[in-house]
Amino acid sequence: MSFFDYVSANSEIIGFLLLQHLQVVLLAVGFATAISLGVAIGTERLPRVRAALLATSGTILTIPSFALFGLLIPVFGLGVAPTVLALTVYAIFPILRNTVTALETVDGAVIDAATGMGMGSGRRLRIVRLPLAWPVILNGIRVATIMVVAIAAIGAAVRGPGLGELIFRGLSRIGGANALNEALSGVVAIVVVALLLDVLFLLIGKLTTPRGLHV
Amino acid sequence: MSEQSTPGTGTRSDVMISLRDVSKRYSGADAEAVRPLSIDIERGEFLVLVGPSGCGKTTTLRMINRLVEPSGGEIWVDGKNATRVDADELRRHIGYVIQQVGLLPHMTIGENVGLVPKLLGWGKDRIRQRVTELLDLVGLDPDTYRSRYPKQLSGGQQQRVGVARALAADPPVMLMDEPFGAIDPITRGHLQDEFLKLQARIRKTIVFVTHDIDEALRLGDRIAIFDENARLAQLATPLEILTNPADDFVRSFIGDGAALRRLALLRVGDLPAVPGVGIRDGVEVEPDETVSAVLEKVLAAGSDSAVVRGRGSLTVQDMLLATAVRDESAVAT
Repeated sequence: MSFFDYVSANSEIIGFLLLQHLQVVLLAVGFATAISLGVAIGTERLPRVRAALLATSGTILTIPSFALFGLLIPVFGLGVAPTVLALTVYAIFPILRNTVTALETVDGAVIDAATGMGMGSGRRLRIVRLPLAWPVILNGIRVATIMVVAIAAIGAAVRGPGLGELIFRGLSRIGGANALNEALSGVVAIVVVALLLDVLFLLIGKLTTPRGLHV
Repeated sequence: MSEQSTPGTGTRSDVMISLRDVSKRYSGADAEAVRPLSIDIERGEFLVLVGPSGCGKTTTLRMINRLVEPSGGEIWVDGKNATRVDADELRRHIGYVIQQVGLLPHMTIGENVGLVPKLLGWGKDRIRQRVTELLDLVGLDPDTYRSRYPKQLSGGQQQRVGVARALAADPPVMLMDEPFGAIDPITRGHLQDEFLKLQARIRKTIVFVTHDIDEALRLGDRIAIFDENARLAQLATPLEILTNPADDFVRSFIGDGAALRRLALLRVGDLPAVPGVGIRDGVEVEPDETVSAVLEKVLAAGSDSAVVRGRGSLTVQDMLLATAVRDESAVAT
């Protein structure tokens, strides 16, 4: 059986796992975005706390994902919960890093003028800083998403949802009938998911970047 | 102390901004960035703060709208103790223009100009009308520029918008921190001229910071010159500063050519003219023209005298002698 024959014969299950994969990634990235924005904004006057949280989230990124999933089993068991949790933890660093940098590097003259016109810190954040920082924040979200798409495959090790299942099952019976095709279909599907999301973010970026910034 | 009460100690009701022993010392710094400073600025006055970098002129300016909190003293703006009112509310009633302009790049020119009115809760139609009025006022066609973005404008145009934005809610006071400093010399000259004409119409109380003594002499009703140790060296009219510099620092800060520069400040109407219009033939000029402008006209016409309308005539020599530092010549203020 050729690879394409295998895919067309199993298109239903591959499609189902692909959607699951997409869902779990978007869920984790959504959580990570909310947490990162909250932390970045909440620690504006607490530079030490902010530095500590950034360092922590950066360090977490160095833990091999296979090990992290395993370590979460005793606490969260198997399935969706530990997968989403681990992916969220991984996604935080790029988003937090970019959010902090973006908010810090908004043109000082613009902030000075806004303050001088009588905008309080809340308005400055909402009306000036977040819109101006948004393209960089969005880029952090995009990087996090691509990264997490790959890591999500490892979630299958804790019975997590998604395309990892195809890869793990295929590899575990390598040499058997269609084992390689099965693993390969998972890999290819993950690449497809990553490309789809990348295009999606380019579109979101185009639509949500304030017009005045790219005239 | 009531915030509405007119402050005591010899101030008059036409004082718009009153600095009283205002000082600033940054934590960790040895010297005061601003030494205790007292200046009364009258309603409609154009005061220029000038001096080398580090002289505290910008800090002084930024204390008036409390972007910098004073370490000591009091600042009264329009009869209110500025140090005791809500800072954001205070700032919405003080125009603020800075060298880098600081337009919000993600908003259109119209939105930028309408920002403070929006903060003050004006209705949409009223804001739109005001934006049209202001863009006209600063010489930008509202239909062309209203929906453009700051990046699409030149530096000079951006600063026009900056001025329009500061004027949006018709504040009685404008603070300007080197507003024309980053603009090429030719455009800067235009903007200075236009701004003087604008000020003649709107009569705002203006505090203007610059390090350029020529700009100060050209624009200010009064000039406060600070030295690098944040000492107020002289506070006087441009003519008085050129005529009687208070000390060596002021003299060196003005640089060479004080006598000739006075020609650009003196008005021919202030010179003693020989009465009897038409006795001599000469170039006809208005009394409010500056001596240097009149000299230029007379020399360009190949003449040797000017007839000042309603006053009499002046020879080139009369006008040149006006540059001589004599007490009786320091008439105009």
